[in-house]
Amino acid sequence: MPDDLQLQPRRKGQAIEMGVLALLIVVFLAVSMVFQKPFSQHSFGDTMKAVGTIMAAGITLIMYSFLYRDNPLFKIAENLYVGIALGYSTIFAWRQALKPEVYQPIFAAPTSDALLTALMHRTVPILLGLMLVMRLSRKHGWLSRYAYAVIIGWGAGIAIPLITHSYILKQLHAAVAPLQAAPGPQAAGAEVLSQAWLLHVAAPIFGAAVLVLGTVAVLFYFFFSVEHKGVGGAVSKVGIWFLMVSFGASFGYTVMGRLSLLIGRVQFLLDEWLKIPSQ
Amino acid sequence: MALRIPIAISKGIIRFLTKHPRQVIYVLIGVTVIASYMVNISLSFEPSPLAQKVYDKVDSLKPGDHVLLSFDYDPSSEAELQPMALAMLRHCFKKGVIPVVMTHWISGLDLHKMACQEAAADANSHYNKKIVSGRDYVFLGNRPGWQQLILQMNENIRAAFDKDFFDQPTEGMKALEGVTSLKDFELIVNLAAGATVEMWIAYGSDKVDVPFAAGTTAVSAPDLYPWIQSRQLIGFLGGLRGAADYEVMLKYPGRGIRGMPAQSATHVLIVLLILGANVHMFAGRFFGKKKE
Repeated sequence: MPDDLQLQPRRKGQAIEMGVLALLIVVFLAVSMVFQKPFSQHSFGDTMKAVGTIMAAGITLIMYSFLYRDNPLFKIAENLYVGIALGYSTIFAWRQALKPEVYQPIFAAPTSDALLTALMHRTVPILLGLMLVMRLSRKHGWLSRYAYAVIIGWGAGIAIPLITHSYILKQLHAAVAPLQAAPGPQAAGAEVLSQAWLLHVAAPIFGAAVLVLGTVAVLFYFFFSVEHKGVGGAVSKVGIWFLMVSFGASFGYTVMGRLSLLIGRVQFLLDEWLKIPSQ
Repeated sequence: MALRIPIAISKGIIRFLTKHPRQVIYVLIGVTVIASYMVNISLSFEPSPLAQKVYDKVDSLKPGDHVLLSFDYDPSSEAELQPMALAMLRHCFKKGVIPVVMTHWISGLDLHKMACQEAAADANSHYNKKIVSGRDYVFLGNRPGWQQLILQMNENIRAAFDKDFFDQPTEGMKALEGVTSLKDFELIVNLAAGATVEMWIAYGSDKVDVPFAAGTTAVSAPDLYPWIQSRQLIGFLGGLRGAADYEVMLKYPGRGIRGMPAQSATHVLIVLLILGANVHMFAGRFFGKKKE
């Protein structure tokens, strides 16, 4: 009996929520009919475009309903998104990769010579691809290891020299080079402490020094073989400061990015769904 | 006595804010974005030096030069990167530079095709051009392989893409005249929602020594600064602001510029919310101590 008493207000709340949801759906459909006019378009293409815009607007609003709380409509839209994305990618994977690279050269080869050439060039890659798919089978899953071995072996062989050159050596050079750079032509002959000297000699050297200090301090912070005490502790703390500045910049940019996505959706809702001309 | 009512109202507001802070912030941001998008606010801003470098590089190219544009994003980043793509394509068409467009992101193919077609239509109406696919630009579409694809393009671009997206053979295509591999491009640009910028640097631009520029979502923008310093990147466009910068320099307003008032207004709101929350926290501490 007490359980029933507790459930009553919850059921009442759910009923109110369902009522509000139904009302919102009706309002959404009414607004869509007024602004999009899907049934009074001149051609089938225009009707489909209007229906597409209504669906996109509806799904956008359903996605934002998560900000209130998780709900069944959001779950439907979420699963729809994953399903459509997968279906879309599968079709394009067939059209852009499997059809031109596998089907057409082998099963639709124009001549026997072309078929022979295709088989010579493509048999091993196709076999390796099929071996990767064997990962799905418990019994034959071990076959995928050979394909992975080729991928990792190839990847390491190609990537190590290129990555070392681009990610490490060039970055190291960029970190140290400004410290030994000669003053630029603007600063040649400039008096010490003059504006040109400050701008073209002192500022780049100061910037480079800060950069080197930051690089060393942050690297030291992640170096755990030495206890971070005394001078080591101070350097490590400087490293934390540099990291915090970096995280702050990243967070600021992230907020900016998320707002841009919201602005993009608002632009769509106002311009294309409600057709309100922006000022 | 006269202050009682305002004090009671502010107490009520603070109680409501502290009870439902998340929902209040969402509503405030939503209202701010919609209001600032609908109200006519003209903002003037200087393009960032890094965006200026990208623009200057494209602007310095001669008619008939080739630019490789790798659009590595899909609809989830459309709001930030599509305006950039449109602005860069319009600039290329205006200058008579031939953009060669490709993507590693299969899920963005239609979006990239739309960008090419929309920019071509804009150039036809705005700059009195007659932009034709296969002659003034190429949309190569996608091929699998990521790094391998770039390495193959280093050797022979036609072997990597024997046909364009519209099934036209690249052999003998007018837009690709004089282009054999990545070395033949005057500029490589990557508009990226993921980590393809680093991939293009290591496997593409560094290897063939071709100038490289990027445009990314705002989230990824801070990661690009080290590449600027090492001169492996000539400049970049960061987020919607980057797109707006490019549109300002091109003098062709698009979605980037139109989004700037909303972005600026929400930034002001966020700063005010941070200040308000800090004042509330410190006031709470101060008055809490006094009570003790």
